[in-house]
Amino acid sequence: MKNRFLIALAVLLLGGALPLQAADFPAKEVQIIVPWAAGGATDVIFRAVAASTEKYLGKAVVVVNRPGGGGAVGYTEAARAAPDGYTLVSAITPLTILPHQVKTAFTYESFEPVICITDDPSMFLTKSDAPWKDLKEFLQYAKANPNKITVGNSGAGGGVHLVAVAFEKAADVKFNHIPFAGGGPSVTALLGGHVDAVCVSPPEGIPQVKAGKLKIMALFSERRMKMFPDVPTVKEQGIDFAMGMWRGLAAPKGTPPDVIGTLHDAFKKGMDDPAFRKSAEDMGVAVHYSNPETFKRSMALDDAFFAKMVKDLKK
Amino acid sequence: MLESLQHLWTGFGIALSLQNLFYCMVGAIVGTLVGVLPGLGPIAGIALLIPVTFGLNATSAIIMLSGIYYGAMYGGSTTSILLNVPGETASVITCIDGYQMAQQGKAGKALAICAIGSFIAGTIAIFGLVFLAPPLADAALAFGPPEFFSLMVFGFIVLSNVTGGSFLKALMMAVAGLIIGTIGLDPVTGEGRFAFDSPSLLGGIEFVAVAIGIFGIGEVLVNAGKPAQLLAQQVVVPRLAELYPSLSDLKESISAILRGAGIGFGVGLVPGPAPVIATYASYMVERKVSSHPEEFGKGAIKGVAGPESANNSACQSAFIPLFALGIPFAPPTAILLGALLIHGVTPGPMMVSEHPGLFWGVIASMYIGNFILLLLNLPFVPIFANILRIPKTILLPLVMLFCLTGMYSVNNSMFDVWMMLLFGALGFLMRQWAYEGAPLLLGLVLGPKLEVAFRQSLMISQGDFEVFISRPISLAFLLATLLFLIVPLLRRALRRSKNRPAIG
Repeated sequence: MKNRFLIALAVLLLGGALPLQAADFPAKEVQIIVPWAAGGATDVIFRAVAASTEKYLGKAVVVVNRPGGGGAVGYTEAARAAPDGYTLVSAITPLTILPHQVKTAFTYESFEPVICITDDPSMFLTKSDAPWKDLKEFLQYAKANPNKITVGNSGAGGGVHLVAVAFEKAADVKFNHIPFAGGGPSVTALLGGHVDAVCVSPPEGIPQVKAGKLKIMALFSERRMKMFPDVPTVKEQGIDFAMGMWRGLAAPKGTPPDVIGTLHDAFKKGMDDPAFRKSAEDMGVAVHYSNPETFKRSMALDDAFFAKMVKDLKK
Repeated sequence: MLESLQHLWTGFGIALSLQNLFYCMVGAIVGTLVGVLPGLGPIAGIALLIPVTFGLNATSAIIMLSGIYYGAMYGGSTTSILLNVPGETASVITCIDGYQMAQQGKAGKALAICAIGSFIAGTIAIFGLVFLAPPLADAALAFGPPEFFSLMVFGFIVLSNVTGGSFLKALMMAVAGLIIGTIGLDPVTGEGRFAFDSPSLLGGIEFVAVAIGIFGIGEVLVNAGKPAQLLAQQVVVPRLAELYPSLSDLKESISAILRGAGIGFGVGLVPGPAPVIATYASYMVERKVSSHPEEFGKGAIKGVAGPESANNSACQSAFIPLFALGIPFAPPTAILLGALLIHGVTPGPMMVSEHPGLFWGVIASMYIGNFILLLLNLPFVPIFANILRIPKTILLPLVMLFCLTGMYSVNNSMFDVWMMLLFGALGFLMRQWAYEGAPLLLGLVLGPKLEVAFRQSLMISQGDFEVFISRPISLAFLLATLLFLIVPLLRRALRRSKNRPAIG
């Protein structure tokens, strides 16, 4: 009994002393920390990709929710986790916003990007029977009545709030921004007519647009959406503005490159899996791949952009 | 109406298939389990099982996941009654009279009346869901931030003295809850408040930690402070004849169950932690209408039957905004929304016509699920009741262990565990000086919602306070609050002037 314990201990110590090799990776389950509550858009997307990646990785992929602090709790924990590839974190746009707003123990540079999985446009929704026929009328009214149009967002300083503020600048108008506790409550308030518009990112609001209760007033993407090919982007209408919400995976800084490579290849296969493609399409989210280098560059660009925006906003 | 019945009939055909019956049963069992385990609630339960449903068809998946939600409402009361540990947030109020009943050897009665009440209320609420969903969903939309604020003020004032003790002490506790609720990210500006740059505090104080701490850990500490000999004698032996409620118990409880069903159904339509608020409201009503209000807090069966029925009914009516609008009003339905999306079903105005099989199948499965839960829970009553035969010197450490692991499992966070212990110590002190835990928890639940609604309203109106009185629903709630505060004062003044006619 005692002997067996000693052997086990020796094996453990030896195993710990050996450098981690990609050939042995993964030896156990991989967990993805989602710094948001279960059931939200981010959670659902990562659960779906985790499920479709398991067979390519050969080990279980477990989603763990660490909500709180607008993402600060989960990101802090992920940044402190051992850089061995067994702990990943869902890297989404707020990762490049939050460090500029509150004092955090991390920035986007505390992580090594693994893969970008989705990139969704943000948009303004209004009720279908809103007094404005199209974007032109909407902006005309906004120009004539500054601070009059109420625009709901999913939380102060969150992604879509800053998008709405940035659009305000691009279109040279002023809105009255109303924060809600998430995309769901803001869409409810719009349906009840308590706000004039909301800024959201799919899948939020998509069911109501499909049902004809809400309409897309302004679409902030480079291309039109597959699901609503008749809705023009704001770019087509002469306002040079596009901004979305990306979601991908990142590992704590210092994770060996070959481990990142193994993870990247498995998740790439996972996101190309028909099962994931179908869930993504059903949810109305746009699958968008980029490799670690490209993902890192776009993170850096957004980080610089939001740093400036938050500074301006705080003035 | 006739059409709905016809659809429901088809729905039963779908729900009664062998496969769906199986998944309904699995959902009910898992739900009961997560309800029984403190900390682990329906949210975690549903989230854990979502990946399991990837291989299933959408109808079976949603049948199982909804089963977890309403199943948890059945299980939640068990530990509240036996150990004074709320198994689930909506079972906090059940601790008050349920635990007292158990200490008198009537644990079986309390457990059984919970199952029966839940079954009756759940079944009634599903009827409401079938026939009233679309109009009620539209009515719920009339609640914007100003209406919501006034409703919360009403709830706060009326429900804070839920147990009927000292109004001043209750209000103090409720305000303490409000203050604790302000810790974390400011919901409007996104800045940290009272967080001292700690990421854990930035996330706010977990409601479950406060609930289990004050009730569960507090009770363990109070018992631990008693002399060992006294503790050894305190084994509660359930009386055999009182394992199940008698006919007179049922007669006494039925009105409370029906009222609870009605209250829960109405409250369930309001965004926010509906099942929790519904239990407070039901308890308050039962205490007010009772001809023996002094029995409440000392093991009144109505104080268990009403709230436990209310939380079940609230959880069924919470499906209305989800199915009819595609918008979840409460966290557990938010997860169900995610599950529906994964399975390619978009809930919302089009759901009933796009996926009639799924919609009616799930509704029918709720009837079956409630029936399964009743059959599942009643036989366990004697087993659970016998847990109290365990000597307290052994039971108390077990309860402690149960609370610690349960709390950790909620967010996998040690910080939450420390918070729970801190509030446990506070709960112990509160017990010593006769302060109630329930109002504090109410403040903690309502506070953040109250604040957000207040600030949103003023942002929309650009600082004009008129917004609260110019809207009829909002005005009505504010007037009702005022009446509630003034009427007892007037009555007292009137009595005084009658007693002392000589003066003046």
